[in-house]
Amino acid sequence: MRMIRLIAMREFAENVKTKGFWAGILLFPLILGGVFFFQTMLAESTPTRHYLLVDQSGQYGEAVDAAIRQEHQRRILQAFVEYVLEYRREANPEQTPARANAQIDQLIDDVGADEVAALDQWLESGGLDFALVLAIPYLREDAPAFIPPREQFVLAALPEGVNAQGDPEQVIEQLRPWLTGERPLIVDGQSSNLFALILIPAQVDGAIVRPGAAALAPSAMRNGIQYWASNLTDTRLPNAIERSINSTIRNNEFLDRGVDVQVVRNVQRTRMPLSRLDPRKDEGQEAVSVADTFRQWAPVGFVYLMFISLMQSVQYLLSNTIEEKSNRIIEVLLASVTPLELMMGKLFGIGLSGITTIVAWLLSFFLFIALYPGTETELIGQFFNVLLSSDLIPYFIFYFLAGYALYAGIFLAIGSLCNTLKEAQSLMMPMMMILIAPLVTMTFIAQDPNGPIARIMSWIPLFTPFTMMNRAAAEPPLFDVIGTTIVLLLTIALVLWLSGKIFRQGVLRTGQPPRIVEILRMLSHKQ
Amino acid sequence: MQEHVLELSRVSKHYGKFTAVDDISFAIPTGSIYGFLGPNGAGKTTTIRMILDILKPDMGSINILGESCALNVRHRIGYLPEEKGLYKKMRVWAIISYFATLKGMDKKTAKSRAFELLERYGLKDYAEAKVESLSKGMGQKVQVLSAVAHRPELVILDEPFSGLDPVNQEVLEQLIQDMARDGQTVIFSTHIMQHAERLCDRMLLIAKGQKIFDGTLADAHAIIPRRVTLECQGDISAVVKSADILGVIERFPDVPTRTTGSRLWELQIKEQADPQKILQCCFEHNIALTRFDYTQPSLHDVFVHLVGSEAREHSLR
Repeated sequence: MRMIRLIAMREFAENVKTKGFWAGILLFPLILGGVFFFQTMLAESTPTRHYLLVDQSGQYGEAVDAAIRQEHQRRILQAFVEYVLEYRREANPEQTPARANAQIDQLIDDVGADEVAALDQWLESGGLDFALVLAIPYLREDAPAFIPPREQFVLAALPEGVNAQGDPEQVIEQLRPWLTGERPLIVDGQSSNLFALILIPAQVDGAIVRPGAAALAPSAMRNGIQYWASNLTDTRLPNAIERSINSTIRNNEFLDRGVDVQVVRNVQRTRMPLSRLDPRKDEGQEAVSVADTFRQWAPVGFVYLMFISLMQSVQYLLSNTIEEKSNRIIEVLLASVTPLELMMGKLFGIGLSGITTIVAWLLSFFLFIALYPGTETELIGQFFNVLLSSDLIPYFIFYFLAGYALYAGIFLAIGSLCNTLKEAQSLMMPMMMILIAPLVTMTFIAQDPNGPIARIMSWIPLFTPFTMMNRAAAEPPLFDVIGTTIVLLLTIALVLWLSGKIFRQGVLRTGQPPRIVEILRMLSHKQ
Repeated sequence: MQEHVLELSRVSKHYGKFTAVDDISFAIPTGSIYGFLGPNGAGKTTTIRMILDILKPDMGSINILGESCALNVRHRIGYLPEEKGLYKKMRVWAIISYFATLKGMDKKTAKSRAFELLERYGLKDYAEAKVESLSKGMGQKVQVLSAVAHRPELVILDEPFSGLDPVNQEVLEQLIQDMARDGQTVIFSTHIMQHAERLCDRMLLIAKGQKIFDGTLADAHAIIPRRVTLECQGDISAVVKSADILGVIERFPDVPTRTTGSRLWELQIKEQADPQKILQCCFEHNIALTRFDYTQPSLHDVFVHLVGSEAREHSLR
């Protein structure tokens, strides 16, 4: 036991000194921080985009304007909800009149449930000014003033000398240099790029598609609204315009047919709530919350964490064994300790560093949540609490250790048979293929955690740790949990025993890696 | 204390059809320096690995420090394998101390022992260096030190001199002698006979897995008859009649370049014969000597004599 401890401590100490270990530990928080940092930065740095509107029909220019105003209001609404969530006082009935707070809550709920309806409501009740009046008494004292987001889409004047009243094709031809960015657009004396051109031809009404009518010829399609932009990824503007113009057309149709638009609106905003309930929960608590959904998906994250950490550990185990072999250190070691002690020492030492990595990741995650204030992190923090209070953590600890023991045993045996990493790669290939399988099926199993594929995979010991972790939140049948655990533990014992045999004989081997027949002979070798 | 630290009796090892060690028996007296000699591929390393229980013999028994299995007494053994290697990223003192703790020394003692050894054998300045920064020879010295740091009763060094420069070879010889003086038994394998000649009390010569010789240096010398080399003009038949002479060989009889007309003779003489008498005999018979050599046959000669043909054959394979 002393020998195992000594070897494990050395392995751990040496592993901790490597650059790869620190890269592994630091990468996670760096990515986490980076993602949030860039997201914030990108959101703030998106430049103002100038667009041109050529409305030859004279009917829909207003609708386009409205669409852009509405898009802007939508962003204000989102930003405002985030702002309120972040700086709201803790709900305290004595300090805050319940009604007003309920109104804010209602707003937040509405945005979550149906953003379009919430936006209508928001605009009707007076937009930001009204909401601020409503919210300010219930914000914390230290809350900064709300800064609404800048307008993203700004209408620009038509460049001089461009005749907007000609044939649509001629108009496009004239504006092409601006559209392709060859000529800059001058707005308020500053040079800018033209983001988009919206052209509404005079005969645009002829292009309206109605149910039952024959499909339009492609040439007639050109008579509809034309949206010209070289940026193909930012679809917010064309989507908003399409929505708004369609809404205007529909309103016109209603008017033509003598239908009261207000009635239609009210009808459209009518909705039937659907509550998702979980039969396994206590009475009165059945409602499925966001946290529940998260809890259902959390195992996927754990499977991923397990996969990354296992990969890192077993790779290190492999390269480290090969180093000792190629350096012939193994012989000195074997004169001091038994092969089993050596193997177990390595297993524990590297396992310990794997656990250290995971703990470091979780710690940095905690720190990140604590130090980086924001609605996203607050939400993550809530999820984290859900996680800690659930029984997923014990599952994860058990399956991580089991998976590690299983794969470490196999990779140690592979390492003991090879003299160089290159040789090991060919033996590792099939193992890698097997390790990928749980990752590929991860999402699928989370959706159907007790389905046939999930159950079958659970009974294959190489997949058991991943698949059972994947299913953990769905409370798999007790038979599966106990049965697969027994099979898994037996397999681990068998694998460690067999790889111990291979390890003993493999570590002193030199020359080419063995053929399958030789490995089988090693396995049947009596000692 | 038992008389022999190590006894092998009728030990054999096969790898498939190849016989690496064939029915070898020998015993090593406590406190001696014992040489393991033999050409490349003779089975020295296999024998050592069996002694250390890294390999299991197919037949025969091994008794080491009173035990049948080296693992039971592994803390009392120090071992330097033939192919040298150390953890590249570790510091020099740490690696010596680590191997000593694996042999049962406690951490504190192991550390101070590491520094003591490094100072005594000229590596004090490198104690904090990483192993990867050492030259090959220095690395090897470090490895020898890490093999013996725990003061083992039995030290087994497989080819300890290979790769060392002459100065460091002397340092190593010194180390081996120091250990013998402290009562430790040292076994080392080599194919450089001078080291064995200078250091060994006893030696074992194996070739093709078989024991060829086991005994003291004097025993080894006795295997080859002693020789006297004469160079003279004319006949030496009068000397040859002497009872001490076992045989005569003329060296280079066909070489015509000996313009002086002198011939070179090699006389094999008896164990007890006195070379002075032969010299005297030459004077008595008025043989005009231009050269008279009397040399003790070196271990090298014995080695070549015993395994010469086999070794050559082996190297041509």
